[in-house]
Amino acid sequence: MNIGNLIMVVVGTGAMALFGIVAGLFYMGIDRVLVARMQARIGPPLRQPFIDMAKLMTKQNIVPANAIPWLFNAAPLVALASSISIMLYIPLGSFAPIFRGYGDLILIVYLLVIPALAMVVGGLASGSPYATIGAQREMVTMISYELPLATTIIAFAWKYAQLGLDNPFSLATVAATPIWSQVGPLGFVGCLLLLVTMILVTPGELGKIPFDTPEAETELAGGLLVEYSGRNLALFYLSLGVKAIVLTAVVVALFFPYNLSSYLAMSALPARLVDGAFFLVKIFVIMFFSVSLIRIAMARFRITQVVDVYWKYLGALSLVGLILVMVDSFIR
Amino acid sequence: MSFPMIPELLGQLLKKPATNPFPAPQLPPTITGYLKAVGEGKATMNPPVPVPPNMRGKMVYNRGTCIGCSLCIKVCPARAIELVPQTKKVRIFVSQCINCGQCTEVCPKNCLNLSDEFLIADTDRYSDKLVLG
Amino acid sequence: MKTLEIKKTAPYTTQIGPAHPALKEPVMFTFELEGERIRKADFAPGKAHRGIEWMGLRRNCVQIVYLAERICGICGITHSLSFCRAIEQVAQIQVSNRAHYIRTIVGELERIHSHLLWAGVAAHELGFDSAFYLAWRVRENVMDLLEYLTGNRVHYAIIQIGGVRRDITPDMVPKIEESLKFFEGVYGKLASIFLDDTTIQMRCRDCGVLTPEEALKLCPVGPTARASGVRKDVRVDHPYAAYADLELQPVTPDQLTGEIRGDVYDRIIVRLLEVKQSIGIIRQCLAQMPDGPILAVPKMALLLAQLKKAEGEAVGRHEAPRGEVMHYVRMGKQESPVAWKVKASSYSNYMSWVPMLEGEQVADIPIIVASIDPCISCTDRVTIVGDQGAQVWTKEELHRLSVEKTRQLQLG
Repeated sequence: MNIGNLIMVVVGTGAMALFGIVAGLFYMGIDRVLVARMQARIGPPLRQPFIDMAKLMTKQNIVPANAIPWLFNAAPLVALASSISIMLYIPLGSFAPIFRGYGDLILIVYLLVIPALAMVVGGLASGSPYATIGAQREMVTMISYELPLATTIIAFAWKYAQLGLDNPFSLATVAATPIWSQVGPLGFVGCLLLLVTMILVTPGELGKIPFDTPEAETELAGGLLVEYSGRNLALFYLSLGVKAIVLTAVVVALFFPYNLSSYLAMSALPARLVDGAFFLVKIFVIMFFSVSLIRIAMARFRITQVVDVYWKYLGALSLVGLILVMVDSFIR
Repeated sequence: MSFPMIPELLGQLLKKPATNPFPAPQLPPTITGYLKAVGEGKATMNPPVPVPPNMRGKMVYNRGTCIGCSLCIKVCPARAIELVPQTKKVRIFVSQCINCGQCTEVCPKNCLNLSDEFLIADTDRYSDKLVLG
Repeated sequence: MKTLEIKKTAPYTTQIGPAHPALKEPVMFTFELEGERIRKADFAPGKAHRGIEWMGLRRNCVQIVYLAERICGICGITHSLSFCRAIEQVAQIQVSNRAHYIRTIVGELERIHSHLLWAGVAAHELGFDSAFYLAWRVRENVMDLLEYLTGNRVHYAIIQIGGVRRDITPDMVPKIEESLKFFEGVYGKLASIFLDDTTIQMRCRDCGVLTPEEALKLCPVGPTARASGVRKDVRVDHPYAAYADLELQPVTPDQLTGEIRGDVYDRIIVRLLEVKQSIGIIRQCLAQMPDGPILAVPKMALLLAQLKKAEGEAVGRHEAPRGEVMHYVRMGKQESPVAWKVKASSYSNYMSWVPMLEGEQVADIPIIVASIDPCISCTDRVTIVGDQGAQVWTKEELHRLSVEKTRQLQLG
């Protein structure tokens, strides 16, 4: 890597971090407005998450007396940094990822665990019984949604390895050859099942109702985040916002990697802008169905039910999807 | 599996919110500044939901006809009325009144009444607006 | 009284309350937990004591009607009606039939409003905020109707000793009819959202079970008892107001599902069916309402004089939305009562928390606590200040104290 590349990476990382944070907060605002409208409320203005962030940043940062301060303060930073670092491996529209060629799908699955782990550590370090219960629940939730998530990723990895492309696990490869064009009718059904699985894994990863047991406002008073305030809480919110973008971007990259520009025959710069806008629209659609609508249309699960839903139902669903995709490749 | 809330929610997306945006559709930068502007006629207030007839609102006291019989004091559950011995008239503390309207029924001279005014908040519970008589 | 010690080793004890998002009013729970499972549950009420009875003994009966109304922030009729019924018996005031019917109509409207409020709170405890907003939006309509009929949205101030203060004139009937139609229309939607939703079923079925045997032993009242199959309803068992003229049966969950499980889901069913029943009762009342005066003693000065001469004791009961409410009043030829004892419905329901909570998960605490629709401030009649010298009273000691108190009252 030469100096030019290095500067590119540094600038790119900064740009991605900025994009992730701004887009994350922006989509949080959209989510809140739409949710309010669906519940027949007026709701906050679109910029409310930005206002909240600005306010939280100026608030006092309280560390409880029986917390472990360095761990308590480090957790939010780790969460945000790891969320942003996943952004570097994900294609946005027709912009290729900054670390193209360095990471693949499997790495993303691993990286996705880190923000959740940071929250667990932060919860355990805060020394509150509610946060401790929350942290335990978060760990259980994490273990639960890993199964359907991993099955989905395996289905993709297996399919692309089967196709004999070079670098089969890379998201860029998936983006270049959309899955739907590579499968027959059976595989199509399988991919639909995998899509449903991913849409339902997303609220679990983000800790939204019905999978928000770790935070459970009415049970644990905020659970994991109960002791966090001020800047630390703001960092956690930012990391959640960025993680929401990351997860929906992964779904988009896996299932809907299509771009408008290739159909419209455009020149380079407008094409990039159109693709970027189209990408934001795709993220919005995924976000609406997998976060906004689900989180207000259901009651919260108990932790045992979270495990049941992810392991039994979604595990089975994704396995059926995987098998269908496999069967489809063998009979073709 | 059935989620009867989903069609309800999606349907509501196309309808108007149920909230009445009172007093202003968006939170003004300062409430007191906004109310001042409304008072001066520079801004318009979004009207509240209309109240039904015979709603029990803020007390109205006709001091002239009061004979100081103190029947109202006897029935007031909140002890919001006191007799001023010098003038033989009553004084009503609106901030303490619970708007039950018992005094208006008991008054032999009909000098106590309930209006339909309900915006009676103030920063001083003994302000001129909130002490009648 | 705390019977569970706070320990730092497993099984852990943890406290929920007095202030906690799961609790809409202050009460303190102590749980012995094994992981997510509750092994033992204990609670300590008395965090919202307001000394209402003490205030009542320093006011005359007309004033107490409005004070009693403010015992509960939700049921404005409940306490004032029970108190008035007690006083009317002591002073031998005959309430006209028309007033009885108006009391019934307003009481049933209040039941609709209270059950909808509960449905919203229960949905919120489950994390289902959309159902909460929907239920409360529907509730706005009944509150508007109550405001139209009585003049106030919450504390209606319509009950008076000897009758009611406002008449329901014929020109008000169309508006009531319109509202009843609205409720009938929206009832199906609400019932489907609360009863058919998979996630609500997952959370509420077989959760917080109170078996019929325990229900008989612990004597809960209202929907809590009826959901466990105990057919207990003051309106049917000891009819008052206009209920003796009306067709009604205690609501039990088997009327909808054919079985009684006594879980949280059954309590949802009972409350929803009662909303429907209340609509029917109001219809019957409107059809049968007789003419006549609405107040037995319209002149307040006269009434006060009559009450000052009254002597004796009586109990007034009313089937509140949460169950039976009881007011004991003793008058002794003075302006204020000699004794006034209020038993709110939640007082009888509290003890059923313990068997409901034990063996369930931490996640179920909010919904189980909410499932009896606790009205904590209404119930608190006693508070303990400071924990020094606190002692546990045995049954015998409490019995001795009550005998002493009764003797004191009888001697005057």
